[in-house]
Amino acid sequence: MIAFFKDPVLLAAALATSLPFLSMATILIFTRHNQRLSASISIGAVTTSLLCALYLLVTLHSAGAPVQYEFPWLLADQLLIPFGYLLDPLSLLMLTIVAAVSFLVQVYSVGYMSGDPGYSRYYAFQSLFAWAMMSMVISPSMIQLFIFWELVGLASYLLIGFYYEKWSASQAGKKAFVMTRLGDIGFFLGLIILLLGFGNLSILKMNEAAQAHAISPHLLTLSALLIFGGVMGKSAQFPLLTWLPDAMEGPTPVSALLHSATMVAAGVYMFSRIFPFYSGSPEAMTMALAIGTITMLLSSTMAMATYDLKQVWAYSTVSQLGFMVMALAAGGYFAGVFHLTTHAGFKALLFLCSGIFIHEYHTNDFREIGRQGGRNLVIPMICMTIGALALSGIFPFSGFFSKEAVLGVLAMQPNRIWLLAGLLGALMTAYYSFRLIFFMLFPKGGIEAHGGRNGASPGHGGHEEEHHGAIFWCMAVPVMILAAITVVLGFSQSPLEHFLVGKAATGAHTLAVEGGGSHAATEGHSPVHYMVLISAVSMAVGGIAWAWLEFGRKKATQEGFLRWLPKIEQLFARRWYLDDFLRKFLDTAIYSGVTSLFTRNDRRIIDGGIDGICQFTVASGRLFSFLQSGMLQYNLLVMIGAVALVVLYFLM
Amino acid sequence: MNSLGTYLVIAAALFSLGLLGVLQRRNLIGMLIAVELMLNGANINFMAFNRFLAPEPAVGQIITLFVMGLAAAEAAIGLSIILVLFRRVHSINVERAQQLKG
Repeated sequence: MIAFFKDPVLLAAALATSLPFLSMATILIFTRHNQRLSASISIGAVTTSLLCALYLLVTLHSAGAPVQYEFPWLLADQLLIPFGYLLDPLSLLMLTIVAAVSFLVQVYSVGYMSGDPGYSRYYAFQSLFAWAMMSMVISPSMIQLFIFWELVGLASYLLIGFYYEKWSASQAGKKAFVMTRLGDIGFFLGLIILLLGFGNLSILKMNEAAQAHAISPHLLTLSALLIFGGVMGKSAQFPLLTWLPDAMEGPTPVSALLHSATMVAAGVYMFSRIFPFYSGSPEAMTMALAIGTITMLLSSTMAMATYDLKQVWAYSTVSQLGFMVMALAAGGYFAGVFHLTTHAGFKALLFLCSGIFIHEYHTNDFREIGRQGGRNLVIPMICMTIGALALSGIFPFSGFFSKEAVLGVLAMQPNRIWLLAGLLGALMTAYYSFRLIFFMLFPKGGIEAHGGRNGASPGHGGHEEEHHGAIFWCMAVPVMILAAITVVLGFSQSPLEHFLVGKAATGAHTLAVEGGGSHAATEGHSPVHYMVLISAVSMAVGGIAWAWLEFGRKKATQEGFLRWLPKIEQLFARRWYLDDFLRKFLDTAIYSGVTSLFTRNDRRIIDGGIDGICQFTVASGRLFSFLQSGMLQYNLLVMIGAVALVVLYFLM
Repeated sequence: MNSLGTYLVIAAALFSLGLLGVLQRRNLIGMLIAVELMLNGANINFMAFNRFLAPEPAVGQIITLFVMGLAAAEAAIGLSIILVLFRRVHSINVERAQQLKG
């Protein structure tokens, strides 16, 4: 215990992860009725966590080897499950991201959620999420990671279904929970197989063993594929991607925090966490690459056909997650993690901006927001445009750097199809982002019908802001901080890369390079590098220009090319019929197949058996009760007869 | 008249009569009297064995005295049970007390 307080690093790690839990418990038990106090407890806890995370980042950023603390937790025969903290560059980076986004979102929520009857409950769940996510991030073993992984899923369920009186919200919560659980079955099976075959689930040991080829390749591939099931569920990869757009039923800050910036990135994080392990299995990597590509392309097309502000960003989240998976699976450890980092920033920014519009205009339809004069909210509009530029990958914004890094990795693949798919994805991303932006900037046929290039005058916007006072600034300040981060973060590429893959952790990187069969994209400035750079930028600009032609310019019809292809628009809008397929699959294979068999077994055999035993007992009791005549003397006679028999027996 | 067998036969007859009475009489007081007969049959056995076989003459007599005391107590309890039953069913016929019939 003394050592605990003497080691500031351990103390900081413990504080960062346990304070949100304490705040959740306090809010749920004591302060539910005091909304202001609940919010300040929760924000105080997450602020401390953020400070601890920053302290850890600063103290340990030059430490060579990962710092690991382990305490025995479960001991069963030869199986030892430790509990503790693993602090290495990856987990420190992710810890800081999670703490920072949680902090900003909680501050933002003070304004967004004000007046909501479930205010305290909201903050309790936010704390639960922060606790689970941060503990997951610094788990040293897969078991601990899995436990908090599930807790994160629980927090997500509770927050999606936050407006549980609303039918669609509670349905969406259930859908998210069940679909991610489907993937987690694979994850858990993979862990069990690995535990049986390899006997250790410590992340560092797994990675070392996979690099040293100490695990048999079949076992490695099988468990890697099964564990990838967890990534598919949590990070909404094909075919388990339809829960994420539905998850937008939750409050907008929740969408920003969980369903774009941090929680859905948990799958990608886990993938990069055991990246050397995956690198040991080329088959699993190819599979992941294919799934990431399919996900990215499908969800990009879906985003082109929806008019719901939050759903566009939701689909784009899915597609960017697919992009990250592609990068990792192509061997680009740094590119994947870097894109995860920048995406967390600009996607949180986009969602929080959307939240301001939704809060202001009470609608999710961006055409409607545009018509009502959404561009008069100058600060959110500018921030949203910055976010969209970053998402599309336009120069000084963070998305440009990370996207270019990802495409660079894809270009190293021997098969060109991955790079082409990536470029196509970049084109579609730019198109649908600016479709939305142009709809909001240059509305047609509404009150604000005139289409000017520079939006509204600042004076008018200033008036709007004054009108909303503290609540508006509560939401606008986090947004501006995020926008600033989005502008700056891209330039930190080389220090970040040095931090993540420099020095000690190079093992993972070199291995990835071997897996990719070529040199890393990081050495750069080769002809291929320039080609990728030019094509990526031209794709992004091309997408924006395309959107400008259809939605932006004065004479634009704002209909989009999809209007001429109703069949395809229908296909995109209905999410490639994935939901219908899953529903049909559920109805035929599960409900009328397996479930009905189980139901029959339950009703006939289990219930029937128990009922039969009961009925037999009752009937035989009835039968025997006829012996009870109630006559004293018959009883006596039987008694005497019995004694006589005993006597006879002894006499014989 | 002086052999053990004679006493045993008499005792057995008395016991059997008592048994028959307990099983056959429907009157509760009659049953109680029959139980007394059975006890007395047993008493005669004790006395007879004491007289003819036992080295220590006092033991059988003491047991017999005990049994007589026991019989008195049993009669007291039995009669009080019969009284309570009479208050309930207004009869001392054992056929009227059939509430425990299944």
